[in-house]
Amino acid sequence: MGMKGGSGGGGGMGSACYVYPGAPATPGFVTPDVLFQRGIYMNGSMTFDDGNAVTIWGFTDLAAGGGGGMGGGSFPSPAMRVTEGQIVHTALTVNMMWMHTVHHHGIEPSQENDGVGHFSWDVTNGTYTYQWRPSHAGTYFYHCHTNTPLHAEMGMYGGLIVDPVPNPNDPPGTKRAFANGPIYDVEAIWAADEIDPAWHTLQWSAGTCGGDVGLNNLNPRYFIITGVDGANSALTNPGVAVTMQKGQRLLVRYICAGFHPQKIDFGGLTATVVASDGRPLPQAWQTTSIEAHSAERYDCIFQPTTTGTWTVTVTYYHWRSGAVLGTARTRINVV
Amino acid sequence: MERRAFLKAGGASLASALMGSGMLTWSARSEAATISQTLYITDGTKTMPDGVSLYVKGYGTTANTPLIPAPSIICQEGDTLSITVYNMLSVTHNLVIGGLVSGSAPIASTGDIAPGGNKTLTYTIPSGAAGSYLFYDNKTSYNRFLGLHGGLAIMPAGISNQLYSGSPTFVKQQFWILNDIDPALNTAVKNGTTIPTSFTPRYFTINGLSSRPPGAAGHGDPTIDALYDPRSRLSGHIGDRTLVRMLNTGMCSHAVHTHANHMEWLTDRGTVRPSVWKKDTLYLRNNLGKIDAIFPFEAPPDAYPPVTSGHFPMHLHDEMSQTAGGGLYQFGSMTELEFL
Ligand SMILES: [Cu+2]
Ligand SMILES: [Cu+2]
Repeated sequence: MGMKGGSGGGGGMGSACYVYPGAPATPGFVTPDVLFQRGIYMNGSMTFDDGNAVTIWGFTDLAAGGGGGMGGGSFPSPAMRVTEGQIVHTALTVNMMWMHTVHHHGIEPSQENDGVGHFSWDVTNGTYTYQWRPSHAGTYFYHCHTNTPLHAEMGMYGGLIVDPVPNPNDPPGTKRAFANGPIYDVEAIWAADEIDPAWHTLQWSAGTCGGDVGLNNLNPRYFIITGVDGANSALTNPGVAVTMQKGQRLLVRYICAGFHPQKIDFGGLTATVVASDGRPLPQAWQTTSIEAHSAERYDCIFQPTTTGTWTVTVTYYHWRSGAVLGTARTRINVV
Repeated sequence: MERRAFLKAGGASLASALMGSGMLTWSARSEAATISQTLYITDGTKTMPDGVSLYVKGYGTTANTPLIPAPSIICQEGDTLSITVYNMLSVTHNLVIGGLVSGSAPIASTGDIAPGGNKTLTYTIPSGAAGSYLFYDNKTSYNRFLGLHGGLAIMPAGISNQLYSGSPTFVKQQFWILNDIDPALNTAVKNGTTIPTSFTPRYFTINGLSSRPPGAAGHGDPTIDALYDPRSRLSGHIGDRTLVRMLNTGMCSHAVHTHANHMEWLTDRGTVRPSVWKKDTLYLRNNLGKIDAIFPFEAPPDAYPPVTSGHFPMHLHDEMSQTAGGGLYQFGSMTELEFL
């Protein structure tokens, strides 16, 4: 087992090795409280501030009419938002040309539903429904776990937020980071990632049968926040930059979505870090910057007491040398 | 073989409590002992997952076979370590015990060991020294990358289930010693040519091995496959809380990610954390970074229907480390978390 012959299509031609194709029935399948129907896209793109573009892969929302492979889609992939205790289905449909999985990072389900190919299956030629029930509110993300260095770098990830069960004593619409946790008014999801264009020309199974395709060596040229170029665009893009009223509380869900270590600096604002990796901290942590490595998440509360504009800077460091690779910037505007 | 005749100083005289394989086993003692070990600095070759054979050096227990990492040593505060090191190679080497806090000076050293010579390091462990240590060769900045490294666990005196006195408790303990290998370095050392000034690692190991996924040659062989190496793999029933002493001897910083359970993060770079955070991903620094964390072996909390068994990965999330030779995803630094 563990081998599959060549299959082609968008994302390139090529054979794949050490993949575990399958799309079986879900053990213990029940009717869910929430259903996400995800397809995949293999021919998206992202254009940077300098005019250059790279190919992007990702997940589509089939329920919203997303396509099934050859086209494009949103980057990052559509976020998932669920409530603690719900039974959730993530139905992933992949055609016979490719293999992918969904791993809900930080969610800890059974082996079959963990989305790791060699411990279960790489989904192809059908649909597998991941069944899980989140037990802890917080910030997570989902990503493909097939040929992971490549598929995650290509963009196959999206946000995953678990909200607490609403507190019946709270006014309707109250938003909390976790049960009995801090209330927030405004929310931002900052997934900070880096892009090496050289990787974005590879086909989906690149390197799996051996040979040097450079997956040990990530030399990013672009630095992005939640799918937006951090050179300039993220300073003002309304999906990234925050505009809030003085007196409001902001929850920033910071996700280290790249592979090199990072530092996020809040430009003079002090964050009250209340949770990390989907777990509340025993005591909140006050800081003006956070050092993080791949896949860590930090939930940060801000309550600025004056109006103004603060520039947030993510600095990316080479995993070996520590050299600064680049920066991405966005803003918090308090009006 | 090992010479123990001189090991008469101090209290009880013990053969070194080291393991060539398997978990660290430990029983606390009420009195101090001398822990002795003889190691041989020697060289050899190791075959990488893509078939490339590389020159390596290591501390072995025989004169001609390097072990990477060296056998782990476990002792307790108050004990005296007596480590005799024979240098079987033609250049000067040493063995130092790194400081508890990353970046601090080594706490003990053999000093230079000339080719063909030997030295004995003797060190009585003070109280308050409990923790996880890397011993390694610092005669050059890169000798530890070649394989000259090993783990030393110092237990609090008289305690068998805490990292430091008063820490959260565990029932098992293991090392995860991470290394990154750039063949250009190994080849330059072998050939005596100029050492590269910049490294690009191509192989990534945990306790000296890389993983081999199902279908690969060596899959399931605990001497080849890091998924099955009992030094690396965590295997337990619910409640088998396992202390993992993570030591980074390599070039790169890493993001240590466990599936199935969050870890209880106890220390960073040798310093006890102000409070215990539960993390699914931990930032393990390079430049001799280290982390102690407990993998709690709780039922995976988000399974529906609930489960208590299964197989899951621990892998590094800086995914370049999950490759070998520039490709071969799943042949990097990864092991298995087995819920029995
Ligand atoms: Cu994928
Ligand atoms: Cu992940």
